[in-house]
Amino acid sequence: MEIAFWILSAITVMGAIMAISLRNVMHCLLSLILFFFGIAGHYFLLHAEFLGAVQILIYIGAVAVLIALATMLTRHITGEEGPREVLGGKWWAGMGTAAIIAGLLWAIIRKDALARLLPTEAANISYTALVGDIGRALVADWVVPLEAMAVLLTAALIGAVVIALEEVIRKR
Amino acid sequence: MDTVYQFLQHAEEVLRGIPLVGGLLARLYHALLGGAPEWVLLAISIAVPILFVVSVFPGIFAYTTLVERKALGRIQNRIGPNRVGRWGLLQPIADGVKLLTKEDIVPRSADKFVHFLAPVAAVIPSVLLFSVVPIGAGLVPVDLNIGLLFAFAISTASVLALFMGGWASRNKFSLLGAMRAVAQVISYEVPMVLAAVAVVMAVGSLSTLAIARAQSGGILNVSHWFVFRPWGFVGFVLFTIGAMAESARTPFDIPEAESEIIAGYHTEYSGFKFALFQLGEYLASIAMAGITVTMFLGGYNGPGSGPGFFGGLISVFWFFSKLGCMIVLTIWIRGTWPRVRVDQLMSFAWKILLPMSIVNIVAVAMWHYITIRPIAWIGTTLWLVLWFVTLNKLAATEKIEKREYRYAS
Repeated sequence: MEIAFWILSAITVMGAIMAISLRNVMHCLLSLILFFFGIAGHYFLLHAEFLGAVQILIYIGAVAVLIALATMLTRHITGEEGPREVLGGKWWAGMGTAAIIAGLLWAIIRKDALARLLPTEAANISYTALVGDIGRALVADWVVPLEAMAVLLTAALIGAVVIALEEVIRKR
Repeated sequence: MDTVYQFLQHAEEVLRGIPLVGGLLARLYHALLGGAPEWVLLAISIAVPILFVVSVFPGIFAYTTLVERKALGRIQNRIGPNRVGRWGLLQPIADGVKLLTKEDIVPRSADKFVHFLAPVAAVIPSVLLFSVVPIGAGLVPVDLNIGLLFAFAISTASVLALFMGGWASRNKFSLLGAMRAVAQVISYEVPMVLAAVAVVMAVGSLSTLAIARAQSGGILNVSHWFVFRPWGFVGFVLFTIGAMAESARTPFDIPEAESEIIAGYHTEYSGFKFALFQLGEYLASIAMAGITVTMFLGGYNGPGSGPGFFGGLISVFWFFSKLGCMIVLTIWIRGTWPRVRVDQLMSFAWKILLPMSIVNIVAVAMWHYITIRPIAWIGTTLWLVLWFVTLNKLAATEKIEKREYRYAS
């Protein structure tokens, strides 16, 4: 277990670092996929098989494929035109984001914070009926947030269609 | 894996129960593994399924190619391979040697690393698919409680190989072929997964073993197969079509329509890398056939199958027989059906298959809540037939009129 954790962590961190540091966009995407696989492996290691499978299904099967399709339609994939300023000199924005995320992570990972959030008998939860439990929780306890998310996504979908339509009209 | 472990723990008693050679086998086992420590048994029980998957299924792949070439030859009024060995039985080995010794060509401006990685990425998901296919009563490499979801997740990852192959070749035709293939695969994934949802609803579990177990019993262990339910039959047809499109089999082999257009994402691949692409494609097709068998054709259930040593052997026999039937069915379809056009492909997926699979989910709900069986039979059948007719009417946009010959009369 310990060895598997370290191997997976190494893969995940390596994928993440490569995804932001490589010059070629396609290589970045492939490293990002490696990172997603690492995260999915971590879920499997934690016996959250459902989350692991969903991670692969959504992030690799859908998000990564979408990014790949979009990337293949663009130029400047290889990144050979020399270095480019990513933030446009706004280095303080990156530092601020990093500080906020570090603070959040520190607040979440601290032991007492975790203990306050999680039920104390976490070890007694059975893993056998996990999918059914998730489904029941989604449509019973969390039905309002779920529906809100559904409305939001539908709105986003309609918005995307509207934006695409406008372009067609403008072209004519 | 668990079954192998249990077998190893009680192997001597089980082996002694076999008539004639049982005593000998038990003594042999005792000499080899008697009193072995726990971790050795555990390691063996992990290694056996892995070795089984990586040896048996590629073997099936090799002989599937032979059967395919023979059957297609007969359909097209040829003999097919008959030079290497009797009935061409050694043809797969000759093919393998030929592809291994061929020159491996990498285009000069290709992305060398990704070009090398793509065939590997094509094979790995296909092999992983077999880890949740139960080949006999209680015999599944890994009994995940989300087995079916895992299979679908892994099969989506195979899209990446198409991408990598098409992009890394640095060839316009490869890139276009890859985009064509990806568009097809991701649009047929939706109806396929929704067709599987019907089965998951009926069983109440995502575990492939539980799905197979739910189809046991009845007359001769046959009458409870899901294909003999109205929703199950529709689901079976939908899922088979989806699986065939997903693994780019005829009539959906537009990604590599060899007689019409440039091959697609593997244009720039030769030798063993090309063979690996083929291997991945066929393995995915065989694994999907296995999942179809598990979900709709009763899995390993058949007359005489059940728990215990001999019931287990018979169940393995039934599983592989059904798998063979599914493989032959796909070959038969390949030999006899014309290829669909790309617009037909898309409109068929979105206008017929997708609404039909959603209608099928409603049919399962009706089947679940109508407790009087005859009414449930009639109700679900009527519901499905009515929707099928309606969808066909709605999807038919242009009327095909009698052809007028202007120049050739």
